[in-house]
Amino acid sequence: MNENRRQILEMLAAGKITADEADRLLAALEPEPVATANFTGNIAGSKGWSANDSSTTVKTHAKYLRVLVESTEKNGPTTVNVRVPMQLLRAGVRLASLIPQQAHDQLDETLSKHGVPLTLSQIKPENLEELIDHLGDLTVDVDAKEEKAKVRVFCE
Amino acid sequence: MIPNIAVLEIQNPHFRMPRLWIPLILLWIPLALLLLLLSPVLFIVVCAISIANGVGPLRVVRIFWDILSSLRGTDVRVTSNGSKVLVRIM
Repeated sequence: MNENRRQILEMLAAGKITADEADRLLAALEPEPVATANFTGNIAGSKGWSANDSSTTVKTHAKYLRVLVESTEKNGPTTVNVRVPMQLLRAGVRLASLIPQQAHDQLDETLSKHGVPLTLSQIKPENLEELIDHLGDLTVDVDAKEEKAKVRVFCE
Repeated sequence: MIPNIAVLEIQNPHFRMPRLWIPLILLWIPLALLLLLLSPVLFIVVCAISIANGVGPLRVVRIFWDILSSLRGTDVRVTSNGSKVLVRIM
């Protein structure tokens, strides 16, 4: 049992707090997805139990990257539904660290020749991992009515 | 953990394949034997990669293992022109 929960229950048993106060304190201890739970205030009879202990920030991490494509063509509708685990993306990013430096330089040269001002050698694996971590916040919705196509990219 | 089962289904207007549930252990065992046979060559390749990139050989193996392990949960479904392809890795 969590130490904070034990303290709350002990205070309730000792009559130092009411059942309502205990319920609010226990609810404050519950982790909430994508939310910060904070409890501040004084509890009558409490002896130095820090309210800051109840502040928690829990963010659920996305597990999958989903790509949905729906389009209507002359021959009929086309749907593409792809779900890729985020772990696979992270592992693929680590694979990039195995590319030799000479290959990076050749790629940079080729990209600059084609007008893409990108220096791959300066992109570190940790940058890419951070990028993948933030993919959880990404949502792309494209609705091209003229082409009768819809594209959705999101993390779940 | 490496994937255990793959589900495969292919349909088109002229051909319909029943949904196959493939136990991937039937693939991993022969693959493991093949890797064992090719282990001297693989050892040289891994060492060459690690020397070229300054990355430890164990890390090289770990990266490939991570890619294999993270395939679980991959789900690809494509439907077009009366054809349907389904691939799931579990």
